[in-house]
Amino acid sequence: MKKYFLTPLTTLTMTVLLFSPIAGWAATAEIELIIKDHLFFPATLEIPAGQKVRVRIINQDPTPEEFESFELNREKLVVGNGQTVVFIGPLEPGEYPFFGEFYPKTAQGVVVVK
Amino acid sequence: MFLNSVILVLQEMIEAALLISVLLVFTHLFQRSWDKSFVLRTSWVALSIAVGVLGAALYSYYTPQISEMFDYVGQEILNASLHLLSLLLVCLLAFIVPSAQLAKNTMGRARFAAFCMTGIVMFSIVREGSEIIQYVGGIAGQEENFTPVVLGGFIGAGIGVSTGVLLFYGLINLSANWSFRISLALLCLIAGNMGSQAVLLLTQADWLPFTPIAWDSSSALPENSIVGHLMYALVGYEATPSILQVSIYLLGIVLIVISPLFRKAWPQQQSLVGKA
Repeated sequence: MKKYFLTPLTTLTMTVLLFSPIAGWAATAEIELIIKDHLFFPATLEIPAGQKVRVRIINQDPTPEEFESFELNREKLVVGNGQTVVFIGPLEPGEYPFFGEFYPKTAQGVVVVK
Repeated sequence: MFLNSVILVLQEMIEAALLISVLLVFTHLFQRSWDKSFVLRTSWVALSIAVGVLGAALYSYYTPQISEMFDYVGQEILNASLHLLSLLLVCLLAFIVPSAQLAKNTMGRARFAAFCMTGIVMFSIVREGSEIIQYVGGIAGQEENFTPVVLGGFIGAGIGVSTGVLLFYGLINLSANWSFRISLALLCLIAGNMGSQAVLLLTQADWLPFTPIAWDSSSALPENSIVGHLMYALVGYEATPSILQVSIYLLGIVLIVISPLFRKAWPQQQSLVGKA
């Protein structure tokens, strides 16, 4: 019986099954984050734990901004009057602050993972 | 605004400055054997800076278009490609440099080394420079910001270049052996960092799968502290790297360690091992 257990095919199937929740076969959810007057709207983004999320950042200011977060390990430039996409997660429950590197005094926000 | 622009420009400048310093130390160490080579004096630095700045200007001009490519992850793909190309050139350099003294075609090899170094510095300036141009160009455009941003930028650039100059003179004033070993160790970390950054960008773009974080040292050494920033610029320190990032970082180190350049760094130990 033992020799059937770890055939390459079984191992492959098991690996695929093991990683499938991580790979996220379900469509990735998208949330919107708007930059206006060097502020983030909404300043608090709530996302579910353990899921990858597509954040669409829409910059309504004429100036460029850089979405940055040490906690999320993300850094992304958004051109003035433009938009971009950043993938975050899957994450553990907790709070992950982010800021706009070009206007850090006002552009502050947090991702709350529940 | 002023302080912010000092920090931002410094952050970008210091990475390129430290990279150029380490490569210049290698040029300096091998200069004797490459005495006749005009390429290896300093002209490659001037060339790579000039082409790099031009590339950075083009990159930032086309950023809106690049940004929209590949479903809005064009910047990540371009930056990751530049990191990976640089990593390839660092590896080629590590394999080609030590044989320059011994090989018959010294001039050809010296030129090839200069070609690699030009590419590495150029790509680094394109990446970091385009961000500076975006920032200064986008924000200094508003009249009230012009003076603090431009002044802060110059000061940040000045500190960045000074740090590079300090590292260069610090290294070449050590004994030749130690300056070689330390710059080689730095080259290992630079190579590892390039791979790790490429992985981070491709993960951010969702081109590589998510992997859990390997460790969390954010309470011991926060990334946004001064030491954290310096360590990031020098060795690519991150408080919460992913497992894949750490693996590629180590792979980058291994690539340099197995290069002939590394063997040259420990000739005495090598021969001792050989005798024993």
